[in-house]
Amino acid sequence: MAELDKIIHQPVRLRIMSSLVALDSDEQVDFVHLRKILSLTDGNLGAHLIKLEKAGYIKIEKTFIARKPHTFINAMGKGRDAFDEHVTALKKIIGGSQK
Amino acid sequence: MDVSQENAHESLNQIQDATIRTRKAIASSYASGLLILWGLVWTIAFVGTHYFLSWVSHIWIALGVVGGIGTFLIFRRQLRSTTPTRISGTSKVGLRIFGLWILLFVYIVVWFSILRPESGLQINAFICTACMFAYIIIGLWFESYFMVWLGLTVTGITLVGLYLLPHGYYNLWMALFGGGAILGTGLYIRIFWN
Repeated sequence: MAELDKIIHQPVRLRIMSSLVALDSDEQVDFVHLRKILSLTDGNLGAHLIKLEKAGYIKIEKTFIARKPHTFINAMGKGRDAFDEHVTALKKIIGGSQK
Repeated sequence: MDVSQENAHESLNQIQDATIRTRKAIASSYASGLLILWGLVWTIAFVGTHYFLSWVSHIWIALGVVGGIGTFLIFRRQLRSTTPTRISGTSKVGLRIFGLWILLFVYIVVWFSILRPESGLQINAFICTACMFAYIIIGLWFESYFMVWLGLTVTGITLVGLYLLPHGYYNLWMALFGGGAILGTGLYIRIFWN
């Protein structure tokens, strides 16, 4: 039975995971673009990403492009499964209201 | 964990909003510049063809080269700055591009046998629809459905221009509605999806 996920349910982390899961499994999004898409500050996005990374839901990769540092993020299989389960649980709650 | 129905509904709306925003922002970064460029190339080339028919091959070759160089410069600029996304590990993109060429080849063979282009107008329409078929396949594979709609719309516009309009107006029709549709889509994405 699908259960809600406490880590993902937090509104900012929910939006972060939604963005990451919208990409292909082998696709990584740039930190700056993710921040812009979600209209977050550096600190806010960074703090929530660390929580998601600690849960094993995402992978953060730091690299250099043209000598400039860049951070890329992608959702891991575990994170995608947890997100799918969370969405199923949410839909089930709503489904209950329609009966 | 206790979540009300109202809260669950709100969360699902947030998920949908973030998903759409992500897909649009990424599509905008990659596609808008290219669509604006090729929309302009089409429009200028068709207007040029209408008014300077004897120069038709020079016009299309010159603008094709301009489009090719422009495409290269857009890709180079994106690589030098930072692209919004990148592919990691074993990518399916190479396989998709290979599949695209195969499908395009099959489409060209089948469509060629149906349309049997003989005149310059028919050959032009044939090339336009082949390009739009590539848009449709790319749109389907990358779930960028605006590309699918754009491809279908411009294909329809091309066929209307070829079969229903007086041939003297075909190039102006294609400049206005074919090139215009591609250019307009690029501008719309650039302004509203960014």
